[in-house]
Amino acid sequence: MEQDAQLVQQCLQGDGSAWEELVRRHTRRIFNICYRFTGNRTEAEDLTQDVFLRVYRTLASYRSAHGGFATWMTSVTRNLLIDHYRRTKRDRVTDSLDDAMPVVENKESVGRRPDEQALLGELSGQVQSALTRLSPELREAVILRDLQQLEYIEIQRVLEVPEGTVKSRINRGRIELARILQQMGVRPA
Amino acid sequence: MTWTCEQTEARLSDYLDGLLDPAEWSAFNQHVNACAICTPLVASVAHLLGGLYALEQVEPPPQLETAILRATVGVVGTKHDFWAWLRGLQSPRFVYSAVSVAATIVLLLTASGFNWRKPKLADLAPATVYRKANGQLHVTYARSTKFVSDLRVVYEIQSRMNESDQNPAMRQETIPQSSPKKEPGRTDNTNPSTPKQQNRANDISRRLEVLACEFPFLSSSLVDRRVP
Repeated sequence: MEQDAQLVQQCLQGDGSAWEELVRRHTRRIFNICYRFTGNRTEAEDLTQDVFLRVYRTLASYRSAHGGFATWMTSVTRNLLIDHYRRTKRDRVTDSLDDAMPVVENKESVGRRPDEQALLGELSGQVQSALTRLSPELREAVILRDLQQLEYIEIQRVLEVPEGTVKSRINRGRIELARILQQMGVRPA
Repeated sequence: MTWTCEQTEARLSDYLDGLLDPAEWSAFNQHVNACAICTPLVASVAHLLGGLYALEQVEPPPQLETAILRATVGVVGTKHDFWAWLRGLQSPRFVYSAVSVAATIVLLLTASGFNWRKPKLADLAPATVYRKANGQLHVTYARSTKFVSDLRVVYEIQSRMNESDQNPAMRQETIPQSSPKKEPGRTDNTNPSTPKQQNRANDISRRLEVLACEFPFLSSSLVDRRVP
C-alpha cells in the first residue's frame, strides 16, 4: 500500500515508469472486478481501460489519508461500472435462464481431482451467470466482499454507505444469489 | 434465546462469517435444525459461498496493459512494448496461423520439387520454382491418368469375373481363347450373342492376356477360379 502511494507520488512528478508499474500491479484485479460485474470479457477490457484512464487523469486528487490507493481505484471502478450499467440498461436484452453459458476459467487449478474440477468449473459458470442477474447494488457488494475479499470498512469506503448498509447488502446479495441459483436448478449437494 | 426465521435471514451472513456470539450461534443452530424453511436456505447460501470462493481469478488479455499505457501515456517504452508484443504472440490464434502458414509453405515447396536434403538458394528462384512446379504437375497428371486407367481395367476384369461366377453359361463366352474353334468376331449357334457383346468380350480377353503376361500370379489365380 505504501509502495502504491510512493508510485503515485513519483507518477505525479512525471515518472513514466512509476505509472507503468501501477498499471502492472492493478490491471488484473480491476479486470477481474469488471469481468465479474459484466460477465463479458470484451466489456471488462474496455472498462478496465476506462478505469485507468480516469485514474490517470484524476491522480492528483488522490489523498493517501483517505485510504489506500487500491481502495480508491476500486471506488473509481465501481462508479464506472454503475455508469456503464445505467448506460447499457436500455440496450440489455432481458436475461433468460436458457442463455446461462458456463464460463471457462483461464487459470488451472492445482491439486484437484478431474471430477472435482469439472463440478467446480460447472458451479463457477453458474455462479457467474447468476451474478449478472443480481441487481447492481447487491452484485457489487458481493463481488467486493466474496470475490475481492475486501474488509467491510474498505467496502464502506468504496460504496460510500454506512457499515450497516454494507452488511445488509452483502447478506441480501448472497441470499438472492442463492435463490437465483436454485431457479437455475442448482441444488446443494 | 428464541430465534425466528426473519432473524435467520437477517443474520445469515454473520453466521456464515462466524460473527455471531455463542448464545446467538446456539439459538441460530437450534432454530435452523428444526425449521423446514431455514434449513434449505442456509444450505443453499453456504453452497453459494463455496461456489463464490471457487471462482478463480480470470487472466486479462496480454495486450491489455499495453493498450492502457497507450491510452494514458501515449507511446509505450520500447522494452516494455517488446515484451508485451512477445506475450501477444502466445495467443492460440497467432500460433494456429503461424503453423498453417508454415504448413502451406512446406507443401508448396515440396510440390515445386524443392530438395529438402540439399537445399540451394537457386532452387528458390521464381523461374526455377515455376519450371519444377510445371514439371511436377505434368508428372502428377500423367501418373494419375495411368492410375485411373489401371483401375478401370482391374474393375472391368473383376466385374467380368463376377458375372462369370454368377452365370456359368457365360464362361465360354468370356474366355474365347479357351475354345480353339471359335474365332474373335464370330458366333456359333450354341452360344448366340450380338456382335457388340462379342467385340466387348474380345477386347476384355485381349486385356486379360496383357495382364496375364505382366502379372503371372493373377493369371494363375484366374485359372484357379475358372477351372473348378
